[in-house]
Amino acid sequence: MQAMLNRRTEMLKIHQRLGLITTLPMAAAVITGPMAKAKGRNGQTITEPTQANLDFHAALGGLTTVLYGATAYYAIFAPKVPGARRRGAIRLHRALAFVHGPGMIATPLLGAMAYKQENAGEKVHGLASAHGTVAWVTVAAYGAAIISVSWPIKLKF
Amino acid sequence: MPRRILLVCVMVALSALCRADGGWLLQQSTLTYHMSHPMHQVDGVSRAAKGKGACHDGTCDFLIAAPVNTFDSGDSNRDLHMVQVTRGAQFPMVVVRTSLPEQTPPSGTIFADLEVQFAGQTVKYNHVQLQKTISGNEVRITGTIPATCSDFKIDPPSFLMVPIKNEIPVRVDMTWRPM
Repeated sequence: MQAMLNRRTEMLKIHQRLGLITTLPMAAAVITGPMAKAKGRNGQTITEPTQANLDFHAALGGLTTVLYGATAYYAIFAPKVPGARRRGAIRLHRALAFVHGPGMIATPLLGAMAYKQENAGEKVHGLASAHGTVAWVTVAAYGAAIISVSWPIKLKF
Repeated sequence: MPRRILLVCVMVALSALCRADGGWLLQQSTLTYHMSHPMHQVDGVSRAAKGKGACHDGTCDFLIAAPVNTFDSGDSNRDLHMVQVTRGAQFPMVVVRTSLPEQTPPSGTIFADLEVQFAGQTVKYNHVQLQKTISGNEVRITGTIPATCSDFKIDPPSFLMVPIKNEIPVRVDMTWRPM
């Protein structure tokens, strides 16, 4: 039992660290998302992003997805303590995973669809046009999940 | 017939062993540990302690015990982490022993030498200040045990890579009744 608790704590510590690290490429990806648009000859914004912009945004998205997957692995496969009932902030933290989890699957898929459409010289349309919205909802749920386990914050040094 | 004789002998032996001038029974208790982190102030409460006091020759020996996993901080994840860092699966009980003179002032401050077994360690806290108040035939004892993580060789848990403070004072509020 003690060995199981030790393993659980170790896995959840890695989950916490990876979760915090994931916020960096995730934030960068949502910031570079709207930037993945190019300037026209007269300075106006055009809908066709440059390849470099798109590639950078896609790389950040890819890195976010990989780190997110690793973070989720350490939470999902941490040993469960038999008979332990969940109380407190962990319930909201888990509930929010049902929002950002599907969001983290949908966002790169929609991003890949949008990328294909861009590369084919098409204006992004259909489901792919929801890529940005889904990404923002996912980021909001992910941020709320982090805050939920840190709340209430009572600063005292 | 020989069984009955044996039973009587056992009863006589037990009554001799248990002979005491008087005794105390823990009626209700609240044990609260306080944990301090730059971002969080947490209190974990247990009301599951059991206790007894046996008095012999002017001294009362008290024993109070509570399961480690009954401390509730309002967050099951934190409580399981607490059980892990305090090696609660290996050492599931926190046990406190103390002796007090049978005759203490009816109310006011008393001082006790406490022996605390917790997380596989035994630590003595001498001259711990406790408050005693009497209401009816019940005696209420309150006070704070100045426990620390290092006393019990507990690695202070950390949040966002910042460990909690070493001090984990345990507030005690107990009501005793004579047996």
